[in-house]
Amino acid sequence: MVRTSAPRSRSLNPRLRRRLVPALLLAPAALLLVLVIGYPLVRAILLTFQNFNMLQPSRTTWVGLQNFVQVFHNPVFWIAMRNTLVWVASAVSLQLVFGFIGALLLNQTFFGRDVVRGVLLIPWATPSVLVALMWMWMLDGNYGIVNELLVRVGILKTFFPFLSSPHTALPTLIMIDVWQGIPFFAVMLLAALQAIPLELEQAARVDGANPAQVLWHVKVPLLLPTILITTILRLIWTANYMDLMFVMTNGGPGYATTTMPFFAYTEAYRRIHFSTGATAAFVQALLLGLVIIVYIRILRRQQVV
Amino acid sequence: MTPASRFKRVVLMTLGALLLGTVLPLSQAFAQGNKTVVNYWLWLDDSTDPVWPDLVKEFNQTHPNIEVKYQTIPLSQYHDRLLTAIGSGSAPDAARFKDWWLGEFVSNDLLQPLTSYIQQWPGSSDVIQNLWSTGKTSADSPVYMLPAQYITFYLYYRADRLKAAGLEPPKTFAEFVQEAKTLTDPAKKQYGFALRGGAGGQDQWYAFMLALGCHLVDGSGAVVADSQACVDANQKYIDLFRVDKVTPPTAPSDGFAQIIGGFESGITTFAAHHVGSSKSLTEKLGDKLGVTNVPPADPNKPATMMAMSGNVVFGSSKEKQAAFTFISWLDSQGPMDKMSRSANGQLPVLASVASEPYYQNNPFFKLSLEQANYAVAWPPLPGVGYVASQLWQASMQQALLGQITSQQMMTQIATALKQK
Amino acid sequence: MTGASQRSTGLGRTRPRPRFRWRWGRAGLAVAILGWLTFALGPYVWMFLTSLKPKSELYTSPVQVLPHSVTFLGYKLLFTTTPFLRYFLNSAIVSAGTVALATVAAVLAAYALSRFRIPGKTYILIGLLVTQLIPSVLMVMPLFLTLRTIGLLNTWWGLILVDTAFALPFTTYLLTGFMDAVPKQLDEAAMIDGCNEITAFRWVLAPLLVPGIAASSTYVFIYSWNEFIYALTFTSTTVSRTLPVGLRTFIGEYLIRWDLLTAGGVISVIPTILFFMLVQRNLIAGLTAGAVKG
Repeated sequence: MVRTSAPRSRSLNPRLRRRLVPALLLAPAALLLVLVIGYPLVRAILLTFQNFNMLQPSRTTWVGLQNFVQVFHNPVFWIAMRNTLVWVASAVSLQLVFGFIGALLLNQTFFGRDVVRGVLLIPWATPSVLVALMWMWMLDGNYGIVNELLVRVGILKTFFPFLSSPHTALPTLIMIDVWQGIPFFAVMLLAALQAIPLELEQAARVDGANPAQVLWHVKVPLLLPTILITTILRLIWTANYMDLMFVMTNGGPGYATTTMPFFAYTEAYRRIHFSTGATAAFVQALLLGLVIIVYIRILRRQQVV
Repeated sequence: MTPASRFKRVVLMTLGALLLGTVLPLSQAFAQGNKTVVNYWLWLDDSTDPVWPDLVKEFNQTHPNIEVKYQTIPLSQYHDRLLTAIGSGSAPDAARFKDWWLGEFVSNDLLQPLTSYIQQWPGSSDVIQNLWSTGKTSADSPVYMLPAQYITFYLYYRADRLKAAGLEPPKTFAEFVQEAKTLTDPAKKQYGFALRGGAGGQDQWYAFMLALGCHLVDGSGAVVADSQACVDANQKYIDLFRVDKVTPPTAPSDGFAQIIGGFESGITTFAAHHVGSSKSLTEKLGDKLGVTNVPPADPNKPATMMAMSGNVVFGSSKEKQAAFTFISWLDSQGPMDKMSRSANGQLPVLASVASEPYYQNNPFFKLSLEQANYAVAWPPLPGVGYVASQLWQASMQQALLGQITSQQMMTQIATALKQK
Repeated sequence: MTGASQRSTGLGRTRPRPRFRWRWGRAGLAVAILGWLTFALGPYVWMFLTSLKPKSELYTSPVQVLPHSVTFLGYKLLFTTTPFLRYFLNSAIVSAGTVALATVAAVLAAYALSRFRIPGKTYILIGLLVTQLIPSVLMVMPLFLTLRTIGLLNTWWGLILVDTAFALPFTTYLLTGFMDAVPKQLDEAAMIDGCNEITAFRWVLAPLLVPGIAASSTYVFIYSWNEFIYALTFTSTTVSRTLPVGLRTFIGEYLIRWDLLTAGGVISVIPTILFFMLVQRNLIAGLTAGAVKG
């Protein structure tokens, strides 16, 4: 599948090959990305400087920074910003921590490990509409099993409406997202753990390190690239993930679970102000862009780039 | 598996998918022929209900020159898909439509005025006269939406509970609150009224507003949602949750599943809804189910809301006549009757169908048809789509939770209704 | 953590392993795994129990845990009255195609990024991430236009291309990282021994990439299997509609078919589990044994 057609002799002009080969190797991915995502991406960004009316596209005009001004004056935008920060920071950090622990657990040998590994994947593998409905049903304030168990165990006195209360709605969604995301981190980190040569660990043990030290000093540094890219992308995905809000709370109660992508969606499709929606998303993208810059800096420091 | 054989497998799978993926759609294209094709979109309540596919088949058979191709889209995504299609220039020819969206679409010149087609349509006289206004944006505007199926809101109640407490169905709002209080017992997880504060609850709220004397627009079409009458009416509604405490604690986020489920299983005694749920509730509750008007403030001035779902033809359609032929055929006796009797069934807009014994002898249909004489739909303003799909819920929940006042909520709604 | 105690500690010192600590460790592991299983699977068990209950037992107070009368009617209706099998087939084909295409493209790209010095590599890496920044709801319309122009609406290929494009960045990054972890000296050693780049890749790199490919293909499969908004917008009939879209059709305006939803939900998670159970066999330590030496 590798495009170099060099036979046994490596007699092709090396300089030409060195330029041509990587380009050819990158071509399929690059082509796909540019053709599929390039146009929508550029269009979405351009729309932030226009007043695009989806229902009358021909009446679009350029308005410069007006959309930004409008959006910044909207108090819901700031609520969404704050909610998104809480949502992303809590969800991703918790997933990372528990996912890492999970990877360590799945790295052990135990009876039924193959099946367990497969089965623990399910939360991540489930379509989000189903996750949302399942949890809505479980958390129901009148017949939910969660309430039932909490009451039977004595933690709660009466059934609590988790999704109706502004203080618990977002944390509940965060919990569900963490529930979904732990297998993702566990699988990625497990793969990275498995790729660490056994000899490194054995060498360290010979030198007298205990398991905890082996973990921290030998394994974690090798896991760092995987941890970094998985976390960065999970941050970006989580920032843009609104399925749970869409099905379970519709951004409510009030605006308690309105995060930025949900706000962008309601502006674009419900208020039919596509441009303000795009603008809100663009602002979030810029902030996420800062995260990317930090990441690239770290990569640079590791002299990978 | 060695990497090599794994790659082989991968390549084979890709080729296989490629082959199937390209062959199948091609085979479809050849089945076209030279009929006029009408693309029709709809949403279905129960996607397993065969009534709709059967109706389309029947039409295609009886109209050999026209082929209707329909596409079903889940309601929660329906509006979005329409917008996407329009934004990329590929709107369908005709589509099932909600009156909420009429203002938006008409103000953007997307819908084909149907008045001239209607005048040439013999079946138009069968449509109940005062329902035509639901398809217009003002008294003198052309008809943009052909009425097809509608509902009016009434109040279900647990007849067994009322009987046990020696109560009659409430005739006024004050009586209603009193009865709800009597029948509320949090210890037994029984509450008076299933208030729907979550998504979709705006219709029920609007019905109560109207019954309590609030109009969102006045006779001339100006927005008066922030009038004192409306603020007071809204306050009474909010008080059901905050002051009278006759609703389950989950009310602010309760959606359709919760209020009907709660009513079915006995958590609530009163629930507002419409004919669409009557079949399943009758199955579950039988004799225990009762129905009455939404309790008005003044017993001499009953009021409630109605929601019309009709059919529209898009201005961008290249087959407007054929599209109209289809949607007007749906409004003929046979198909109308079938639609109304199906699992998705709502009220028929045709006088001839409405007068049939099936509907007249069914208490739910009967009451709804009576209400149709005075029921009011959402005003056909461009801002209604946004209020109905988003703003109402956010504001109502904030008001129920005490974060904003009734005045603030009605001002927000009024502002949105005045938009564009 | 304590599993390591089972492996030999190599030459030299042997540390005594007190018996009781070993047993506590195993017990702790068991508790942790069981706890995790309960947390992860609880909702599904509940959903499964719910799918078995007839409607009359759904809304009860106090909540009934076990069904008193079991019904499989939901499953029966699922297969006989809905195009569920077709949705399933479409999802399977789209996901398989996406995994194939994404893995191939990503491996090629990762090889280039890892093994060659490319001017502008930073920009390429940034570019990969930038594609993920805008929420999909805003990308839908222009993408719809693109697919319509190319004529790939309502086809498997349309979805495969879109899903692959969005899944590529993470896959590429992941595989690049895994490849970077294999020192270039190994390639060079193999080439000195008479391999060209291709065989060096096949015999040296590829085996070491297996855990990475296992993980990334799982990610791509799950992404594609569960992808909703593009599947919804770019398909119009059962010809190419996928499972997530199909499941949503069971939610109506005034009606939610819980029986179909729960039955369909149970069935829709099975392929992913099977896929991963097959794939995770490659997540075994020891594949890298001997790699560093020599």
